[in-house]
Amino acid sequence: MCSETIGIYLHIPFCLQKCRYCDFCSYPGRDAAEKEAFTEALCREIRHVAPLYRDRTVDTLFFGGGTPTLLSSDELRRICACLRDCFSILPDAEWTCEANPATLDDTRCHALRTNGVNRLSIGMQSASDAELACLGRVHRASDLPPAVALARKHGFTNINLDLMMGIPCQTLASFSDSLDAALSLAPAHLSVYSLQIEPGTPFFAQKDALPLPDEDTEEAMYALLLARLHAEGFRHYEISNFAKEPALCRHNLRYWLRKDYLGFGPAAHGCVGNRRFYHSADLSSYIRDPVASRREDPPLLPGEIEYETILLALRTDRGIDEIAFSEAFGHGFRSCYAAALAPFRDAGLLCCSERYTALTERGMRLSNTVLAGIFASDAAAHLFPAKIY
Amino acid sequence: MTERQAHIRNFSIIAHIDHGKSTLADRILELTQTVSEHEMESQVLDNMDLERERGITIKARAVRLHYRARSGEEYTFHLIDTPGHVDFHYEVSRSLKACDGALLVVDASQGVEAQTLANAYLAIDNDLEIIPVINKIDLPSADIARTRNEIEDVIGIPAQDCPAVSAKTGQNISDVLEAIVQSIPCPRGDENAPLRALIFDSHYDSYLGVVVLLRVMDGRLRAGDRIRLMSNGAMFDVVEVGALEPFGLHPTDALAAGDVGYLTASIKSVSDTRVGDTVTHADAPAAEPLPGFREARPMVYAGIYPADGARYGDLRDALDKLRLNDAALSFEPETSVALGFGFRCGFLGLLHMEIIEERLEREFNLDLITTAPSVIYKLRRKDGQTVYIENPASYPPPDEIETAEEPVVRASLITPTEYIGGLMDLCQERRGEFHDMKYLDENRVELHYTLPLNEIIYDFFDALKSRSKGYASLDYEFDGYRPGKLVKLDFLLNGEPVDALSFIVHEDKAYARARKIAEKLKENIPRQLFEIPIQAAIGSRIIARETVKAMRKDVLAKCYGGDITRKKKLLEKQKEGKKKMRRLGSVEVTPEAFMAVLKLDDD
Repeated sequence: MCSETIGIYLHIPFCLQKCRYCDFCSYPGRDAAEKEAFTEALCREIRHVAPLYRDRTVDTLFFGGGTPTLLSSDELRRICACLRDCFSILPDAEWTCEANPATLDDTRCHALRTNGVNRLSIGMQSASDAELACLGRVHRASDLPPAVALARKHGFTNINLDLMMGIPCQTLASFSDSLDAALSLAPAHLSVYSLQIEPGTPFFAQKDALPLPDEDTEEAMYALLLARLHAEGFRHYEISNFAKEPALCRHNLRYWLRKDYLGFGPAAHGCVGNRRFYHSADLSSYIRDPVASRREDPPLLPGEIEYETILLALRTDRGIDEIAFSEAFGHGFRSCYAAALAPFRDAGLLCCSERYTALTERGMRLSNTVLAGIFASDAAAHLFPAKIY
Repeated sequence: MTERQAHIRNFSIIAHIDHGKSTLADRILELTQTVSEHEMESQVLDNMDLERERGITIKARAVRLHYRARSGEEYTFHLIDTPGHVDFHYEVSRSLKACDGALLVVDASQGVEAQTLANAYLAIDNDLEIIPVINKIDLPSADIARTRNEIEDVIGIPAQDCPAVSAKTGQNISDVLEAIVQSIPCPRGDENAPLRALIFDSHYDSYLGVVVLLRVMDGRLRAGDRIRLMSNGAMFDVVEVGALEPFGLHPTDALAAGDVGYLTASIKSVSDTRVGDTVTHADAPAAEPLPGFREARPMVYAGIYPADGARYGDLRDALDKLRLNDAALSFEPETSVALGFGFRCGFLGLLHMEIIEERLEREFNLDLITTAPSVIYKLRRKDGQTVYIENPASYPPPDEIETAEEPVVRASLITPTEYIGGLMDLCQERRGEFHDMKYLDENRVELHYTLPLNEIIYDFFDALKSRSKGYASLDYEFDGYRPGKLVKLDFLLNGEPVDALSFIVHEDKAYARARKIAEKLKENIPRQLFEIPIQAAIGSRIIARETVKAMRKDVLAKCYGGDITRKKKLLEKQKEGKKKMRRLGSVEVTPEAFMAVLKLDDD
């Protein structure tokens, strides 16, 4: 009997329209019949997979998308019921649903809250209508306060707002306004992402013409963000995430601490021990046969697990736990990578307490440089075994 | 002349690049049934991959053919294929010396080009009978009559009755064979005189040792003979002599005056058997060697380093192997603070350098960093000493130099008239000294300049091509040393000089080039954790400055839905990039940053 808890991610691949920066798996403008068929398929997959994890208790769940609240309240209710039937969910489990300020309504809010969802993550992005339009978002700035009020009315206290930094035409002043607007709604959690221009998106096609804020401006935004949130009592607990204790997102922490989670739905990923699962992104094949769309990577080798542990744990403010690391891999993190770590420590990108090695605020802005430095070092050779399959 | 000699013809094919030399050779091989159709592989004689791809001949080669003439008589042809580039000027002249005649291939639509002229003059200088062959008559743009006139007017040899062929389709090729019999003189030379044989190439074979390609001028050579090389006195016992067949060596009893063939004598290195040297008998030597021998002399030097320092040994082995077949390649170990351990290599010219680099990368799977090429400067120091400097790193400080001289070349450019202005500007910018301009016909001119060699090794050829839409052609020859106002330009990263980036430049150009390279470095040096000043200096004087700002952001903001594949891929790439970086003190530089200094586009 394995008593370790597990998390569940559910991918709802529907949206009203594709945002111009979005490269996630999401299909705009699908009809009710397809959503219904998807709901059926999702439940079928849950029922198929769940028996394999009968001995595990679930303590985090996450509806992501897309826009999960584009499903009907009945569909949402059925998925929740199915999960509850198939898994043993802890009473204090954290259960998140992503929502768009424009499509969160009374009945859905009610359905979610009464079926166990206790955390809402709302895609605010900006308080400027011009910036929202530029991003291709369907909502307007004025949609947000009523959406948050609605959530609170239904008993949601654990609310996250997503904000974006580096939007075309965004200025330090407009970012500051967006931040104020977000804080005025008293969220327990804030996710602040730097816009990334991904291949295959409309933004990518016009990337050289996009009036992106210059480097100095974005740097000033970051400084402003840190100062404001620090003053408000938020903890910068992951590269892009801030929370008032104790509202750290336990589900997302699973990813970074490499704890087990299952993924359901197209393009969803899962990780259990040394096994990583993923789904094809194709919706119609998922609906036809959700179980067949599940794939599994070859089991990870110990070096690969160590590699993942380093790159994920260094996203968090606690960083790498020297004791846990030694137990898992048979050597200390700091002793093994001492030569590679030294220059980053000297440059103020890493800080070390007795037990933890973590990125500093500046280090978080340069995390890839630090990681590449570690992984390119001679000490890291054992992380990259020659693949024989 | 003996009966045997009367039925031998020794000739080569000369042409401007791309005028169809190798294709014509292929057709001749086919038509004489030396190579059957099913063995026919395009450009049989260019058997290095690199030669086929680039359409150039790097090594000289020879092949024996049998031809039954229209008269019914049997002839033996020796076709000697010569390298076709200005870098190999001397090698070409030796190959020609082994012939009695030459086919001068001229493209019917392009007409006479710089190398057509240079090669034709070289053939004339070597007293060869020239048969013009007008090629590519199958092309719609072919103008045979105009080409005939041009050959007569420009080169001054009769061309009204010369063969006009298509080597591609095979049309009229038999006319060429007949013309060889009719017009090219048979070899002369006394079979009973002391042996004199001209070495025109040699290559290394791991079973036979060095295979020496030679033309016997006088006397007779057999297996078992003890021979002496007249330039260095080295003696060897001949193991085998024979004829050269397209797919290998064909041993024979003897080679006699007029023959072209090979010898092997358990020789270990091609550096013993220099092109142009004379082979004679050890016990009955000829009184005089054949004229014209000269040591191959590198004109261009560059540092070659393995991108991965751990492969220094592999690079050394690879260079050793290439030198087995290339006496003109010289190299010696050198150490750079910036690049670690590598080699200072000497080349005949830029093409030679490119070929060596490409072969090292391709045949030996090496990643290389090559420093900017340099020529050899001749300096007189204040203490009266004369020194030759081929490595900018060893250039003395300005106050120790009395006078500085740089090598110059005599260059000939042939261009359609509409590009004269652009090319004269180019030569002017490159410190060229104009001599004269000659109209070849109403549309084309030949320009003569003296140009510093160090101006030519910086992408002169590319600039020439881009300013003439590809129509102008170039030939040049070393023409001695001239005084020049030369300075050494150094680059400093974060206050530390980077030896591998230093180079010698004319004072008037130092500022512009320093600025340009500083900008290029700025573009190419990745941002680091701290700000990096880039400075260009002459001595202690800073003449240009740029700054690489500190890196501000390098992070993947989102690991979405537990999908870490993208993050892993990104890091994998970044990690590999990082591994290729070179540390210069506290600064990390990509191999590309070094290349940027090399590639100064003319714009």
